[in-house]
Amino acid sequence: MPPTGLEPARMNRKKGDKGFESPRPYKLTHQVVCINNINFQRKSVVGFVELTIFPTVANLNRIKLNSKQCRIYRVRINDLEAAFIYNDPTLEVCHNESKQRNLNYFSNAYAAAVSAVDPDAGNGELCIKVPSELWKHVDELKVLKIHINFSLDQPKGGLHFVVPSVEGSMAERGAHVFSCGYQNSTRFWFPCVDSYSELCTWKLEFTVDAAMVAVSNGDLVETVYTHDMRKKTFHYMLTIPTSASNIALAIGPFEILVDPYMHEVTHFCLPQLLPLLKHTTSYLHEVFEFYEEILTCRYPYSCFKTVFIDEAYVEVAAYASMSIFSTNLLHSAMIIDETPLTRRCLAQSLAQQFFGCFISRMSWSDEWVLKGISGYIYGLWMKKTFGVNEYRHWIKEELDKIVAYELKTGGVLLHPIFGGGKEKDNPASHLYFSIKHPHTLSWEYYTMFQCKAHLVMRLIENRISMEFMLQVFNKLLSLASTASSQKFQSHMWSQMLVSTFGFLKSISNVSGKDIQPLIKQWVDQSGVVKFYGSFAFNRKRNVLELEIKQDYTSPGTQKYVGPLKVTVQELDGSFNHTLQIEENSLKHDIPCHSKSRRNKKKKIPLMNGEEVDMDLSAMDADSPLLWIRIDPDMSVLRKVGFEQADFMWQYQLRYERDVVAQQESILALEKFPTPASRLALTDILEQEQCFYRVRMSACFCLAKIANSMVSTWTGPPAMKSLFTRMFCCKTCPNIVKTNNFMSFQSYFLQKTMPVAMALLRDVHNLCPKEVLTFILDLIKYNDNRKNKFSDNYYRAEMIDALANSVTPAVSVNNEVRTLDNLNPDVRLILEEITRFLNMEKLLPSYRHTITVSCLRAIRVLQKNGHVPSDPTLFKSYAEYGHFVDIRIAALEAVVDYTKVDRSYEELQWLLNMIQNDPVPYVRHKILHMLTKNPPFTKNMESPLCNEALVDQLWKLMNSGTSHDWRLRCGAVDLYFTLFGLSRPSCLPLPELGLVLNLKEKKAVLNPTIIPEAITGNQETAINPSGHAQLVGFQNPEGDHLAKEASCNISAHQQGVKRKSDTPLGSPLEPGQILEKNEDSSKVKLKIRFSSSQEEEEVDMDTVHDSQAFIFHHLNMLERPSTPGIHLGVFNLEGKEQSPLEMSMHPVATAPLSVFSKESTSSKHSDHHHHHHHEHKKKKKKHKHKHKHKHKHESKEKDKEPFTYSSPASGRSIRSPSLSD
Amino acid sequence: MADTTASAGAGSSGMRSGSKQSTNPADNYHLARRRTLQVVVSSLLTEAGFESAEKASVETLTEMLQSYISEIGRSAKSYCEHTARTQPTLSDIVVTLVEMGFNVDTLPAYAKRSQRMVITAPPVTNQPVTPKALTAGQNRPHPPHIPSHFPEFPDPHTYIKTPTYREPVSDYQVLREKAASQRRDVERALTRFMAKTGETQSLFKDDVSTFPLIAARPFTIPYLTALLPSELEMQQMEETDSSEQEEQTDTENLPLHISTAHTETRS
Repeated sequence: MPPTGLEPARMNRKKGDKGFESPRPYKLTHQVVCINNINFQRKSVVGFVELTIFPTVANLNRIKLNSKQCRIYRVRINDLEAAFIYNDPTLEVCHNESKQRNLNYFSNAYAAAVSAVDPDAGNGELCIKVPSELWKHVDELKVLKIHINFSLDQPKGGLHFVVPSVEGSMAERGAHVFSCGYQNSTRFWFPCVDSYSELCTWKLEFTVDAAMVAVSNGDLVETVYTHDMRKKTFHYMLTIPTSASNIALAIGPFEILVDPYMHEVTHFCLPQLLPLLKHTTSYLHEVFEFYEEILTCRYPYSCFKTVFIDEAYVEVAAYASMSIFSTNLLHSAMIIDETPLTRRCLAQSLAQQFFGCFISRMSWSDEWVLKGISGYIYGLWMKKTFGVNEYRHWIKEELDKIVAYELKTGGVLLHPIFGGGKEKDNPASHLYFSIKHPHTLSWEYYTMFQCKAHLVMRLIENRISMEFMLQVFNKLLSLASTASSQKFQSHMWSQMLVSTFGFLKSISNVSGKDIQPLIKQWVDQSGVVKFYGSFAFNRKRNVLELEIKQDYTSPGTQKYVGPLKVTVQELDGSFNHTLQIEENSLKHDIPCHSKSRRNKKKKIPLMNGEEVDMDLSAMDADSPLLWIRIDPDMSVLRKVGFEQADFMWQYQLRYERDVVAQQESILALEKFPTPASRLALTDILEQEQCFYRVRMSACFCLAKIANSMVSTWTGPPAMKSLFTRMFCCKTCPNIVKTNNFMSFQSYFLQKTMPVAMALLRDVHNLCPKEVLTFILDLIKYNDNRKNKFSDNYYRAEMIDALANSVTPAVSVNNEVRTLDNLNPDVRLILEEITRFLNMEKLLPSYRHTITVSCLRAIRVLQKNGHVPSDPTLFKSYAEYGHFVDIRIAALEAVVDYTKVDRSYEELQWLLNMIQNDPVPYVRHKILHMLTKNPPFTKNMESPLCNEALVDQLWKLMNSGTSHDWRLRCGAVDLYFTLFGLSRPSCLPLPELGLVLNLKEKKAVLNPTIIPEAITGNQETAINPSGHAQLVGFQNPEGDHLAKEASCNISAHQQGVKRKSDTPLGSPLEPGQILEKNEDSSKVKLKIRFSSSQEEEEVDMDTVHDSQAFIFHHLNMLERPSTPGIHLGVFNLEGKEQSPLEMSMHPVATAPLSVFSKESTSSKHSDHHHHHHHEHKKKKKKHKHKHKHKHKHESKEKDKEPFTYSSPASGRSIRSPSLSD
Repeated sequence: MADTTASAGAGSSGMRSGSKQSTNPADNYHLARRRTLQVVVSSLLTEAGFESAEKASVETLTEMLQSYISEIGRSAKSYCEHTARTQPTLSDIVVTLVEMGFNVDTLPAYAKRSQRMVITAPPVTNQPVTPKALTAGQNRPHPPHIPSHFPEFPDPHTYIKTPTYREPVSDYQVLREKAASQRRDVERALTRFMAKTGETQSLFKDDVSTFPLIAARPFTIPYLTALLPSELEMQQMEETDSSEQEEQTDTENLPLHISTAHTETRS
């Protein structure tokens, strides 16, 4: 075996990194998933799974698996019936009736709930008790086969059904179903160990209608017809060890295309789209070749499948040996704009096949390595395919994005380390969500996380060279492929998992370089660097005095110490200097090479060796400096603000060959509206050698400059003559040439220029009439008959241009907008929009780009007061059944309307859609748009902000979105944007003035009432037990208030200066809790019993309870617990027996709902209540104590296990003996 | 009887343009036909056994016969035009006769009856002559298969071609202008028509007709219309593929750069 990065890791445990140690007391080797029946009409699935596991500890008595939504009928282990509990605390994060409404509380509770079922912590929703008959077997560490029968009915997440409501059979209707989700979400559709680190081999069987095709991972071994020939069973085998999270499924009446270049690759698309599929995938083999070549490694799986489906969750989802794409990526040869985008998606998904699917991650904190590597090699592909310019432009774009995001939110941490002893500061304390789990992350954060990961990989490449980098990847892959071919017993499979430590070790082995500082700076720490640079030229010393300051105090920033490259372009050439950025040195002297005299008419050498003639008249006669660039290679994640004279920026724009430099100078020139800037920009615009994206941004800069120079501007409107020269007929300059988009550069420029021109304004701040006429003429004379390509994007941009030309209406006395007082220009615009929009109905354009632009333009007209503001039109376009792009555009308009007109009705309409729309992507997108363009924010007075809305949103994130992690996190984002972290200000004061902390045996005024002014009060009313019961248990809400108090009270202990709703952990002694709760739990049980009767009807996925769940963990499955004893204890403790006894006789075949009902009523004693809080709030400071106590508690439970039983737990145990 | 149909039909159509003056050659022509009909009526009467008849009754019978034959001609012409032909065929006549309640089956027997009388061809009369001033070009002579007693061809300009002598428009600007406004007019007319005939939405509550928007209607399978090129585009694609971007009227085609990266950069 070659030396690996993982083996030494085991010895190096001091550093906190270690080789893979499974969090589970068993190892999974093989899993069978068999879905016998899929009903499209009812949207249901019936099947079973069989997991083959080897116990790794002798006394394994319970097995935790992940399963959400599934209805579990029966569990057998080695053919013996096994009892199981199904409890999912993420279904309802906080108590249903709790009045708690602050986000801090929610986020902590949510993180705790996710932790409680996190497979990476060895947890799961489904807890199976090993039958006692098998204990001996287990003690010998012999194999166990767990057979679980399950069904899914109308799944809300995980599996998505698309069933168009037309005539015909399901296959004729194009009905299909596919698996989807964010990160590890396989548990939504079958019970499994839903972790990226638990690998096993797979056998997948799907029985579907004979007209349908089932696509899944691995090799299709055979398809077998059923006896009646009406159904087929697809048998797939995946022999490469794969995690359940990388298992996928797509079933539909797909058209099948075997890739003509690579026969092991098969493409699937929905009926009628085959020609598009052919064209779209015709490029894929080149991507394959590229990756295989740079990685010097063959594609690891024996086959690859692409499936294009409708209503996709994300555009691209990569799974082991198959990728699921949105059908909207398909395009014909006539479409220009979509082609590169689709190819990028294909390339992205393929990169993830190697890193992400084949090589999986050890834990969530290693995610950045996989995202980084796949993003990095995707970048290499971009560079090869689209050229260096495009690549650098993309890197710059990504850098700008991550910098902006980190500065806004306060940092993205790639490698969070958790659980290490004392953790003083939460690594993500600036965030309103926990970054401990992928499922608690804001979607935007996760996107930025991926972006940062690949940028950091690029930084590593800069440090160790690409060659070494690729060697490292190759090493990881070859290790993994060796491991993948091994039998399970060799314990080699963990080589297929990558960890941060293993990756870094591999880098140091291969390159021999120490990249620890780099990792420490960008991986172990969040934040970006903010530089401010300025300079002075010292003529006497011929020295450039450069001053570089850093801002490392604002959120999201960090201090940078180390080398920094500065490039100075002088008259005599371009020179690189590496400055050492240190703690306190701001000034750097850089000697200049050139004398400032420049009487000789010499050509000026550039960085790339090219020598050019320049007109140097604009220069400062005393200085030889043409321009200066800080960190030109983007080798720091930074934002640079640099000050240099306008002529220097202009030289940089004209003569610097790096597109990033050009882009930067364009941005800088916006501040220098002078004729010289105008000329520089115009020249760039005309230069065909120049990168087209630079030219496009020059357009917009030129428009801005022209507007700043409006009073002194001479000649026709900016860009008009340029456009005429480039794209109009020679003989009649007002008529555009018939379209010919063969030159893509010209095409993009032709599209962009009118859009930029429409931003021009005259002295009255109106769009010049000349420009409007010009754009209208472009539309009028547009002629695509002889074009090889579709002009739909071009026409759409012309509508965008029209929209850009709209300026606010001048209204007299707030008159009502009618047709009669319509501005004549607007009338012309409206005429065009009407025609375009109507023509779309008859001759729809690709992806309905024109409708999308029309809707946006109409909203612009409304917003500017030309057309009455009215959401009706948008709402009709937002309905289900329109193309998704149209829907999103329409919804965006409704969101904007909601904000501008403060419409409660529309907000409700949107919220309703978030909950009920059939397309998960649309729901997600509405939340996203509402967050980006919120109707109000936390510091704003708004009539929309009321208690009902708070409750509604709370409910949405608390329980309404439990089927979709992304959606729930989106709801959290929105809640944060609207109300902030603290209790929303619009809420009324809590009813109860006095609250108490049972842990502390204290009662205080509810801190949410008077956050600041009660410093002395906490000592006032303290009579522990009496008050406790009185306040805590008089009514059902009481204990929640108490709970609220328990987290709020800590704030007071911290000195009450803190806001009431940002609780911090407070220490507490374990003993105190235990003794305190004995009596109160009894009282509470009664209450719970009565309420359980009322709640008997609640559906299985409405109410669950994390605290109760934790309680189960502590108590329920310890040997030698049997349900019978539970019963006895109950009878002793809780005096209400009837409801209990009724549900104590589960029928063997009854579906799980019986149990879930029980868990709805499962409330818990105060004990775990506190315990839970401790979990959430105090974990940081008191981790050790806490852990200790945890053990301590469970020991106590062992001795006297049922002291704290709650009815829920008692009834949830299911045992065959009982049912008999 | 059947063999008189054509001349009677022509006669009836000629009557409409005829004037009262008997000196007119056209009237002479019609009178000659009328006389032939009178001969026919007389011989039919003789055949039926009449020895004499009053002039008035002969006139009435002639009038009836003429109307009957005219009706056959008119109706046959309609039938033939209905099937997009200009020349009536036998079947048109048959259909006409059936339509008029005539038992066609009896006709052949009737035509072959023994006691029938043969009437000589009408005397050659002068064709009606159109006034000189209106003629344009040379009238074509009858082809050999048309009996000379049939009417002359009309003026060639009415059915052959009309040469005009204006300069054709080839100016690029005008052409583009025309193409553009034509397309725009068609589009506007079409969309307005669609809007009028279907459900609409409006941006202004008080006015639904000025900017009528065809109502948005959800599709059952929205991605199909969004992704598949329309038939028009497909057709266009084929055309452009075959002609491979012929040279455009006014352009010197720009040099074709397809690669996107042009500027050199340092790496």
